[in-house]
Amino acid sequence: MTVFDTNWALLTPEIALGTLALLIFTIDFMTGIHGRKPFIGRLSVLSLIITGVLVVMTNRTSGSIADVFIIDPYAMIFKLIILSGVVAVILISMSYLEKHKDVYQGEYYSLMLFSALGGMLMVSSADLITLFIGLEIVSISSYCLAGFKKHHRHSSEAAIKYVILGGTASAFILYGMSFLYGLTGSTSLVEIGASMPQLFQDYTFMIYLSFFFMLGGFGFKIAMVPFHMWAPDVYEGAPTPVTAFLSVVSKLAGFGLVLRVLVTGFEGIYQEWAFIIATMAALTMITGNLIALPQRNVKRLMAYSGIAQAGYILVPIATIITNVGVNVLMFYSVAYLFMTIGAFAIILLVTEDTGSHDLNSFAGLFSRSPYMAVAMTVFLLSLAGMPLTAGFVGKANIFILAISGDMLWLAVVMIVTSVISFVYYFGIIKQMFMVEPRANDKTLSPSLGTKVVVTVAFTFTLVLGFLPGWLMDIFTAFDWMRLL
Amino acid sequence: MIGNSLTWLVFVPLVGTLLIVMIPREQVNVIRSIATGTSAAVLLFSLFIFAGFDRSTSDIQYYTVTEWFNIGFLQINFEIGLDGLSMPLILLTTLVTTLAIVASFSINDRVKEFYIWILILLSGMLGVFVALDMLLFFLFFELTLIPMFFLIGIWGGKWRAYASFKFLVYTGLGSAVMFMTFIAMFVKGAEAMNYQVLSFSLLTMADIYANPLNPDVLTGTVKGGLFLGLFIAFAIKLPVFPFHTWLPNAHVEAPTAASMILAGVLLKMGGYGLLRAGFGVLPDQAARFATLIALLGVINIIYGALLALVQTDLKSLVAYSSISHMGIVLLGMASFTTAGMQGAIFQLVSHGFISALLFFMVGAIYERTKTRTIAELGGLSKSIPILAGFMLAAAMASIGLPGLSGFVSELLAFIGIFGASEELIPAAATLGVIGAIGIIFTAGYLLWAMQRTTFGPMKEKYGELIDAKPMEYIPMIGLLGLSLAIGVYPHLLSDVINITVIDLVSRIGGG
Repeated sequence: MTVFDTNWALLTPEIALGTLALLIFTIDFMTGIHGRKPFIGRLSVLSLIITGVLVVMTNRTSGSIADVFIIDPYAMIFKLIILSGVVAVILISMSYLEKHKDVYQGEYYSLMLFSALGGMLMVSSADLITLFIGLEIVSISSYCLAGFKKHHRHSSEAAIKYVILGGTASAFILYGMSFLYGLTGSTSLVEIGASMPQLFQDYTFMIYLSFFFMLGGFGFKIAMVPFHMWAPDVYEGAPTPVTAFLSVVSKLAGFGLVLRVLVTGFEGIYQEWAFIIATMAALTMITGNLIALPQRNVKRLMAYSGIAQAGYILVPIATIITNVGVNVLMFYSVAYLFMTIGAFAIILLVTEDTGSHDLNSFAGLFSRSPYMAVAMTVFLLSLAGMPLTAGFVGKANIFILAISGDMLWLAVVMIVTSVISFVYYFGIIKQMFMVEPRANDKTLSPSLGTKVVVTVAFTFTLVLGFLPGWLMDIFTAFDWMRLL
Repeated sequence: MIGNSLTWLVFVPLVGTLLIVMIPREQVNVIRSIATGTSAAVLLFSLFIFAGFDRSTSDIQYYTVTEWFNIGFLQINFEIGLDGLSMPLILLTTLVTTLAIVASFSINDRVKEFYIWILILLSGMLGVFVALDMLLFFLFFELTLIPMFFLIGIWGGKWRAYASFKFLVYTGLGSAVMFMTFIAMFVKGAEAMNYQVLSFSLLTMADIYANPLNPDVLTGTVKGGLFLGLFIAFAIKLPVFPFHTWLPNAHVEAPTAASMILAGVLLKMGGYGLLRAGFGVLPDQAARFATLIALLGVINIIYGALLALVQTDLKSLVAYSSISHMGIVLLGMASFTTAGMQGAIFQLVSHGFISALLFFMVGAIYERTKTRTIAELGGLSKSIPILAGFMLAAAMASIGLPGLSGFVSELLAFIGIFGASEELIPAAATLGVIGAIGIIFTAGYLLWAMQRTTFGPMKEKYGELIDAKPMEYIPMIGLLGLSLAIGVYPHLLSDVINITVIDLVSRIGGG
């Protein structure tokens, strides 16, 4: 089967999103570059929802375009996560953009759409080339978004730092990929995966080299220790909605990619790299949680918290590559999406209101807006892994997997660092409930978009904590290993 | 599940919470009435359950199980029930909480939130004592952590932030160790049954560990490790030396009602968990570590008492006395005799009443004099004779004066340790003697403290104090009355726990 007689209809959602994004870009262009453009935001949300529907419709069937672009439930779920994440980020961005006149609104929304497109390509690719293209679409959009407040020193610094380090990471990935191509003569992950055990025997050193280069590059994208250094600075400098985007969409898309590469390409030599990933996971959990402790800037704190969370998500990858392992990773990704986006919606609301990113912006939030304070508490409890929240079920899953996969030490690291994380998560809770609000603070008035995002995230964080069964049943029904 | 009265017992406090959420925060009296009404209803409900409790069997009663969800291949059930071990602790919980709610009528700051947290806490504590699924047990255990964090952190004293975080991290670590051990217990249990039985139920777990299909999996090291894991987890809560350091901070900073619940009920979750999960599932390992447990018990008694002796703050004195008294629980348990085990449970219940009363008295005195420093108090029996009288009575109960519940508990625990088999604990009698010396210390620090606070010349500035208010009589008489009732007629309690204790001891093969 050649590329030309394959089923291009499978690409419908991506084509639709690409077209809609270009359309929105054109509309924006024709209505002048400056000014308020909330309608562009609404159009973007609409396009993402249309794409989401198309994703569900297309991905009912499994298939692939010449083994390059794969359509399966795995891709579907990651695509839905990415799309929901971008919708949420746009919803909370709208009121932010109204206030910050120095941001060109139209470009902002179209870049968000393009990055969603990139993410969708990433999680569906089974070929090194498409994979890299998807990755770069997301990355380049992210670099631009990080520097969107161009008259703002921190934002420009974040963008410069991000683009230089990100570019280096991409180069590492490409270099790593080039070894694989050189050894197999193919860019298809499926083919590479098939010949992997033999390749490893013949060219052990080269395969290791390739693996480490790619791991470094991907590790950068998901903020894995020791490739995490950029995250706190970029998170702090970027406009807050973009921070939310980096923390949720770009990170989860990165995980979608990492899992696909490791499972499809490197499954044959799982024994060789499991311990490496486990060590990385442990380092990431320890570093992220410990350095988060003294942070006073909420965005930096969330950056380190995000690093720590990346460590938890790495555990199922390290422990065991089976159906259960993928289920566990999926569940945690969904939980992570809701709790993190919810937390960022409130962080954005609060920091914009006080004009500061210091922890004490949260002082007395409970008396200023009880609903927001309670919702934030639930998100933080979930991130900390307290029972009856999505985060707990997700972590418990990972934990059980680690113990039954004979990685007791990793499970211990995970649970101990989780308890350490209580301190900084409860530090925010303390500000909200136990510190008096500053004198002239009035009741908060969140925008409709923020309210919607917070309420949806709040509901899902609790529902997945009380009754996680339905989502797990959906995941259990899929045979991931055959698909990947 | 809905028809089961225990389910209602656990969830009625949450219904009260929802009601309070809907009341505007200015309606302080309505909120207090709802809180009191809810806890009183729960108390009545627990008495109703008590009335229907069959004392002639050690089987689990009011049992119900409903499928909840699965984590991977692990089925989690909502499985609850009670036996002679949980029954008295449930009554203790509902009683102490109701009285703590009455005792906290003087709180005027953020009343709505206060009662919301107390009721959530009540639900969590009841859940711990009825849960039979390990995950459910853990959920409720953690559920008590969050309200207590807020109760200490918002309504506490000067160092409340520090104390609440210390409480959170320490007991959080305890829960983490517990969770890890539960999962490991499950994994090893499943392996030992060749994966034919996959259950997270404590009852099934006990059966599996008693009769595994494949005993080679459960080697001494594995079982010993599991038991030590559970021991550490619950030792933090109990608290056992050297895991006790969170307790004095938490107690001293906590508001009166929270201190009453903390000492009255939360610590008991540690003792209960150790008996339910540790001794219940791994009796042979409990026997193996009996010497260690008894030794730690003695250290707790002596060390807690010595620290109490040097305290200058009345509340921290009571806090350290709790550590000392929990040593008696350990000593009783470790003896593996019917008497000792009974003593341990008696001590859990009895200390629940007495420490709650002591903390209430300290709170009442602090409210009037604005100081807890022993040196600044004095002559209180002249200015506030009724409060001082109850305080003295509480101290007597704590010392273990015959006729009060503390005496029965200590007597039984020491009979237990002196009668313990020499094979189990080589120097049982010696440990018993050293432990008994602790009792003398107890008398020492409490009497000395009483002498310095209630007797002696009355301080000028305390001349105008108001004595006990009508609302204060309810917790004072209630708690002291119960201590007296059990002290005079121990059968009240022993009748409930007897069969369960005999069953527990027989599993170890002791006598």
